[in-house]
Amino acid sequence: MGITSVLTKDNVKKIDTDIDVQERDLNVFITSASRVIAPLWPISTFAARNPWMGLENQPFDQVASWLKNTRDVDIYPSASMIRSAKNKGEIDEDFVEMGLQRWLDSHSYHIPRDVAERFCHAALKLDPLPSDLLSSHELEKLVSECSGLDHIENVFMQPLSSYIENQDGERLVNILDHHVIKWSKLYLDDSQAGWTMPNREEGFYRAWQHLIQYDPALSKKQRERVKGWPKEAHLALQEALFALEIPESEIQTYLEGHLLSLPGWAGMMLWRSQQSSHEHALLTEYLAVRISMEWALIKPYLPLTNERSKKTISIAPLIAAWIHWGGLTLEEWSQMTASEQNEYLSFAYSFDEKLRKKLWLEAWEQTYTDRLSQKIISKQRETGREKSALAQLAFCIDVRSEPFRRQLEKEGPFETIGIAGFFGVPIATCELGSKHSHASLPIIQKPQNKIKEFADEDVFKKYNQRKQAIHSLSHTFKTMKQNALSSLLLPELSGPWLTLQMAARSFVPRKAGRFIRNLREAWLRKPDTKLSLHHDATEAEIPVGFTDEEKVNYARQALKMMGLTENIAPLVVICGHGSQSTNNPYSAALDCGACGGAAGGFNARVLAALCNLSEVREALLAEGIKIPEDTVFAAAEHNTTVDELHWLYVPELSEAAQEAFEQIEAVMPKVRHHVNAERLAQLPNFQSKLKNPKAEANRFAEDWSEIRPEWGLARNAAFIIGKRELTQDCDLEGRAFLHNYDWKQDESGELLANIIVGPGTVAQWINLQYYASTVAPHYYGSGNKATQTVTAGLGVMQGNASDLLAGLPWQSVMESDHEAYHSPLRLLILIQAPREYVERLLNHDSAFLQKVQNGWVRLASLDPEGCWESW
Amino acid sequence: MLVSLSLSSLLTLFFIMLMASGISGLLFLHPRVPLSFVRIHIGILALPLLVSLLILANSGVSGNVGPWHLDSLACLMTFFVLAIGFIIQRFSVRYLMGDRSYRKYFTLFTFTTGAASMTWLSGDLRLMVLFWGATLVGLTLLIRLNSAWQVASEAAKISGRLFLLSWFSLFFAMMWLFHATGQWQLSLVVTNESLAGLGEWERTGIQLLIVLAVIIPAAQWPFQRWLVESIVAPTPVSAIMHAGLVNAGGIILTRFSPLFHGGIASIILLLLASISVLIGTGISLVQVDYKRQLVGSTIGQMGFMLIQCALGAYIAAIIHLILHGLFKATLFLQAGSAVGRHEVSTRTNERTSYLWVMAGRILSLVIGVAFWLTAPGDGYHLISALILGWSLSVSWDQLVAFGEGRIGRIAGLTVLGGAALVYFIIHHLFYKWLHTTIFQSVQPPMSAVMIVVCLLLFGSALGTWVARHRSSVFFAVLYLWLVRLGEAKPKSVESHPDYLKQYIS
Repeated sequence: MGITSVLTKDNVKKIDTDIDVQERDLNVFITSASRVIAPLWPISTFAARNPWMGLENQPFDQVASWLKNTRDVDIYPSASMIRSAKNKGEIDEDFVEMGLQRWLDSHSYHIPRDVAERFCHAALKLDPLPSDLLSSHELEKLVSECSGLDHIENVFMQPLSSYIENQDGERLVNILDHHVIKWSKLYLDDSQAGWTMPNREEGFYRAWQHLIQYDPALSKKQRERVKGWPKEAHLALQEALFALEIPESEIQTYLEGHLLSLPGWAGMMLWRSQQSSHEHALLTEYLAVRISMEWALIKPYLPLTNERSKKTISIAPLIAAWIHWGGLTLEEWSQMTASEQNEYLSFAYSFDEKLRKKLWLEAWEQTYTDRLSQKIISKQRETGREKSALAQLAFCIDVRSEPFRRQLEKEGPFETIGIAGFFGVPIATCELGSKHSHASLPIIQKPQNKIKEFADEDVFKKYNQRKQAIHSLSHTFKTMKQNALSSLLLPELSGPWLTLQMAARSFVPRKAGRFIRNLREAWLRKPDTKLSLHHDATEAEIPVGFTDEEKVNYARQALKMMGLTENIAPLVVICGHGSQSTNNPYSAALDCGACGGAAGGFNARVLAALCNLSEVREALLAEGIKIPEDTVFAAAEHNTTVDELHWLYVPELSEAAQEAFEQIEAVMPKVRHHVNAERLAQLPNFQSKLKNPKAEANRFAEDWSEIRPEWGLARNAAFIIGKRELTQDCDLEGRAFLHNYDWKQDESGELLANIIVGPGTVAQWINLQYYASTVAPHYYGSGNKATQTVTAGLGVMQGNASDLLAGLPWQSVMESDHEAYHSPLRLLILIQAPREYVERLLNHDSAFLQKVQNGWVRLASLDPEGCWESW
Repeated sequence: MLVSLSLSSLLTLFFIMLMASGISGLLFLHPRVPLSFVRIHIGILALPLLVSLLILANSGVSGNVGPWHLDSLACLMTFFVLAIGFIIQRFSVRYLMGDRSYRKYFTLFTFTTGAASMTWLSGDLRLMVLFWGATLVGLTLLIRLNSAWQVASEAAKISGRLFLLSWFSLFFAMMWLFHATGQWQLSLVVTNESLAGLGEWERTGIQLLIVLAVIIPAAQWPFQRWLVESIVAPTPVSAIMHAGLVNAGGIILTRFSPLFHGGIASIILLLLASISVLIGTGISLVQVDYKRQLVGSTIGQMGFMLIQCALGAYIAAIIHLILHGLFKATLFLQAGSAVGRHEVSTRTNERTSYLWVMAGRILSLVIGVAFWLTAPGDGYHLISALILGWSLSVSWDQLVAFGEGRIGRIAGLTVLGGAALVYFIIHHLFYKWLHTTIFQSVQPPMSAVMIVVCLLLFGSALGTWVARHRSSVFFAVLYLWLVRLGEAKPKSVESHPDYLKQYIS
């Protein structure tokens, strides 16, 4: 046992003296370390999150090699994905070649170019080196003769417990993870358990510190080690780090290592710490618990002797690579001089697997860009906007809007518009009779106003009673379940009813689903509601309703974003979107990402109602935005699972608006038919030819056994900011986010800047969420849906227990266990504007510049002359 | 009767259909058969189910056909297992779409449920042991369906070991029975005459072996670990496990009921089962994972089923195991719905409804006592009355007393009345149906009944006490022990599903 790690009273005192400084330092370390994780919010409001949001100041490939070294996580597409994309023709090999030549030109090496090229070409086939070569005796001999390579790889400090195995051969870090998962889920539980964790009110660390001395999952000795542990989290963290002898220079790396062990749970702690003031130190508490437990577990193995010896590069694979790919024979190799060998080795070392995959990924992206530009440029409409649109429909930028808009435009004189699905109204929404309010805007922004749905007092009271009756049913079920005696009767009481439901849902999924939904709605009979648009009170620091000024501002902002300042049609429909799936823990992932992972109909209603207010119209007119008298704004919700438009708010219509409304209604079945057929062809199914796409789409939505109710935003690849005429005649295959933008209306560049900051970030996050879940499904995805369990009401775990899994499930990005559906490409942002606009944007928005430079998004522009430029 | 086919020809038809479904399952394994064949497979699966329904409708009398034994219990269990299996396979068609082991899954599932249904039709001890063994093997293979995933293999290993112990225990019990009675045929073994020849220690030995054999699949303490760790299996596998296989104990004990005349084995069973009820309920109280709560609940419910058996209330046990199976299968299949915003309903009138609460208490007491008085001599009836009265009181509070306004109370009363009505109708039907089955129930000693009553009341009281003393050391210890009992071992836990890396490489 290490004497050095035993804490003496003197040591503790020494810590105490300069506690203030240390606490501040420690907080700095924790804050800097937390860049490696991203906050994670509950799955019920699953909005896409970029797992690398704190790392954008580093280039993509640097983060890639750091993750490979520290966690063995590969964030480039795997060889099989690349191969399959190549076979499908998604990668033009000329681009690979161009990338290779560029790389060869920019690197200096003293190897004949043709030899180097031959080596690279063979290596770029991405086949693994044959294992019999790697284990052959001849190779071993060559390795022993070779002097080695004078590179040294960076070694990042890992949690000490990952270097130690116990007598059963289990790595202690796994045992540590197991404990930390348990404590985290018990603490974070959102009203799932009947008995909550004792002392939870006092905070995570305190509760743990109180309980750990009784935990039977630890041995008696381990319990004793933490018995007298400090009462304060930061003291405990200091003490543990001290006891583990982590040098100050490595503390941040050390904390990072611990955060990366369970990035999901740590991310949830981080999110919670940002939500309320009384939990603001939650991440510190988490680290205190984790590292204190680590100390308790590894104490008998301290001090460690040879855990962190410098990693030397194994040269066997490098020599093997030259023999297998470079076509060298063993003799040729052994005849080389030592310096020649070194040159060859270091060449092979720098042309590693990561670089090869990078070349492929960039070629894949380049191919997509190339094809998109050809498509857009060849089909660009010459003429401007057709003046006589009967109705204008604004949809979310979501990639699923694109096919719907395309079909809708085909069917009649309708103009469609793309705008972020919260329509620029930064609100928290509160549905009728609900205590809970939802921040219905991009996660990165904070709500400014709260809008409540309300109804007449007596109607509301009756409705509330009906709603409570349903609630009390599920509440009774829960209460009976949690009572020792009544739980024994519960299966016999509820069994027959559940059986009925199970049988119906299994054999007539569509009808059963609809029946249950209708029954519920018929019972609830939700009354007609109004919105609290007018400012009256302030609740929880947010004003309820808008001031007169805000009303005008939000309406103006939204109209400008949509480019709707002139030629306004008699009917303008603001369409939010939502999804419909049954028995799907990820249903929120299919909803609107710009509305914080919920359906966007509420926001659509708010904007439409604002634009109908006479005072708003008057104020806008004074600023030169004329909304014709007979123009009516209505709100609807686009159901992306069945592609239906559901009207939410239709005020009294003018004659012209009525005509438009009727025409929309008339074409809707046809639109739906086409979009359903287009989308269903992509979803795995047994029937290749569908007779009735509508019925099948409904089945996907209502079937409780459906694992892929829709594809969501899979295959997204581009964000096009420009006029609709640019893309109107292109089939973008539901892969592009579309935002309306007319640079002529944006002299100051403010609109463009806003689009990049808000919708641009939403699109980038969605894109990287899909990217990460595809390339590293085990680490950034959330694994197979069939083996998940919902935990603590917050998220899902795999199997018996695991990290709180943050990303998209396996089935959301994979067509089957053998074939990927999503193509992991980094988002291509295309801006239709003159070059100066883009330059100005990059100069003003340094965060965006960083994203582009470091490869977290790709940027291209299309100027008025039709000249395409990649940045 | 729709068709006046003789039982034996129906049974022949049944086995042909069962074979057909097995063949279809095997056929599906072949990579040349298209995946869409699964829909035909589901159609073929319906055939044995329909025939078993026909048998169920025809099984007025019990009798032996060759080595098979047909009575209302056997028919009911066969139908039940096949029906649950059918529904879950139908569910899996979409749910497991794209899975690597898609074909293997359907084959294994068909065989497992087929073997389970044959187990309950067996009239010969050897066949019963054989088929039960096959069922356990099938289940183990289903747990390790995803063999690339190390934690799934680990769970399968643990389950397999415990199943082996259980199976050998049953095997030796059957050998012993044959040795003692000279009979392989179940109906001849469990007659009073042949059992009369057993010595007291022989009887106890066999009883103990059977008890061991049944408490393992029922995941009773201290053998709950396999159920706790097999959560790694895909949801539909958990559904069949919790619905159709953990409850085998109830059927086996019913079959061998003449063997049990009180005695030490019954008391041991009673004790273990009562402890398991408390532990299981405790696990589902402290756990926060949806599936783990269900595991806790299953342990408790199976404990209750075994208590019913130990107290001689076999029909009640059968009803419980069937309804619990359906209940749990549904809850597993809808595991994806466990996410939701949990609005803490504010009960404005929780205080003002004192009168309503009191009315509920009195009503529950009256109904409980009245129910007990319908058969006051029956030991299990007392427990039944207690649970009934208690549940009424709990649900009355939630549905009626705390109901929001008139609408809330009327709706609550309607639901309560409707549920009670359906409950009594279903029970009546089951009793009428099952009373023809041969089983022998002996009144347990009153002391045993009292032990159970006291344990259950103790459990309830503990719950109330804990709510008031949440910061006590006792609660901390109890809480952590319950957490520990419901958690898997570190070996069966992986922080990230690393096997997916192999899938994409």
